[in-house]
Amino acid sequence: MRESLSPKRLEGSGRWLLKILTGLLIVIFLGIHFVVNHLVAPGGLLTYADVVAYFQNPIIVVMEISFLILVVIHSFLGLRSILLDLNPSPTVLRMANFVLVVIGTAAAIYGTWLALTIASRG
Amino acid sequence: MTNQPWQVQIKIQRQRAGEKPYVQAFALEVDPDEYVLDAVERIWAFHDRTLTYRHACHHSTCGACGMRVNGREKLTCITTIRSVTQNGGTIRIDPLRNFPVVSDLVVDMGDFFLRMNKSDFNSVAPDNAARLPYEHPKKLETQTEGEPERLVDCIECGLCISACPAANTDKEYVGPAVLAAIHLMYTQNPSQKLINQADDHSGLWRCHSAYECTEVCPSGVDPAWRIMDMRKTVFKDRVKSIIKPRLPEKKDA
Amino acid sequence: MPNQPDSNNWPRWFDPRSRSLGTFGYILNRVTALGLTLYLMMHLVALGQLARGADAYDGFIALVKNPLFKLGELLVIAAGVIHGLNGIRIALNSFGIGVRRQKSTFITLMLIAVFIIVFFAFKMFSEG
Repeated sequence: MRESLSPKRLEGSGRWLLKILTGLLIVIFLGIHFVVNHLVAPGGLLTYADVVAYFQNPIIVVMEISFLILVVIHSFLGLRSILLDLNPSPTVLRMANFVLVVIGTAAAIYGTWLALTIASRG
Repeated sequence: MTNQPWQVQIKIQRQRAGEKPYVQAFALEVDPDEYVLDAVERIWAFHDRTLTYRHACHHSTCGACGMRVNGREKLTCITTIRSVTQNGGTIRIDPLRNFPVVSDLVVDMGDFFLRMNKSDFNSVAPDNAARLPYEHPKKLETQTEGEPERLVDCIECGLCISACPAANTDKEYVGPAVLAAIHLMYTQNPSQKLINQADDHSGLWRCHSAYECTEVCPSGVDPAWRIMDMRKTVFKDRVKSIIKPRLPEKKDA
Repeated sequence: MPNQPDSNNWPRWFDPRSRSLGTFGYILNRVTALGLTLYLMMHLVALGQLARGADAYDGFIALVKNPLFKLGELLVIAAGVIHGLNGIRIALNSFGIGVRRQKSTFITLMLIAVFIIVFFAFKMFSEG
């Protein structure tokens, strides 16, 4: 029954705005990321030691973690939007919501753990 | 005929509802300045009386004769044969996409018309409310900036829905024409009802900016611009409702 | 494929025949979106090598220095640049900005994208 889901739970202005804002921040962060990795650190971060050294800067750690979270939100909202184009049944959509939230949260936690682990190895 | 006649082949997708489609070719002598619809009519008149298609006014006002000509959505009564093929060439004609085929080139646009109704687009007084002497309805004040536009000329031909990629897969998506109608009605008479109709997963947010609707619209409605302008309106309204909540609709906010 | 809207019609999303420039933008955006999401997952798994210490990670980096991986990496950069620049156009359009100039905006942004991608291609493959 489609009525059981209110339209706004499916997709609305708020979620669209979130997608645009995360997208914008990603573009900015990715710009910084490219500049830092390819211009400031010539040759890039190609060895384990380089990466550990790079992660000693707390600003970098915060930036990398927030970057990951933004990317996960943006890409999973996008995936969900593509799924909505397929006009899923409410059951399929509920399952997809669950899977996306679980994988997204897991990816964010895993990435945060990874960043903090590397930072602690200085 | 003022022109040298052209020999063209017209390939039409034939289909009875529920059966498999097939393509039938007809060889025709035409004047290149005739319209595609003329050729279709000639096929019906002289070659195959079972061919079905919709048409009425022959001057781009009724919106009945929308078809896909060589894959592209066209109002066939204003599409010259010269513009879609050359002498000795082939014209492929298919029914509009994203509507169920009733028969051959006739598609079922019932759902689409019902959705147009919901936006109160171009609604007129019902018969029993009509009174004589007749009074002309007051001209609606539009808030559109710049040149007056011919939006009211949306002829509900459905070309934009046929061309829209999102409408390919989601039958709940109301489509460009309906969103453009909501936008027009909103510029004339803003209401929360129209905002809520637009701010829906089957409304504004199914649009993914392919802008094909504006590309194929034969009436200059520019649905793509209207969809985006409506998004702006919805964003503004939602921000306003956060700053100053509307009490009766608190549940929605 | 059914003529009416049907989820089985999804391959038509990617069909640019008899379509205009806007559809190319739409297709590019969707393809790069799916590709980048796949890459995000692979990237997270691969970076797990960092947690396993210097040898594991440096061994992994040696592996991805192979030209085939480099090509893959270039594809990811290309997808990111295209999706990002195209996304700016779509975001602005969503606020009603520049909708009627969307075609020229698209061409301009894609020319910038080509420039950036070629720059990275030269950089990556000349460093050896």
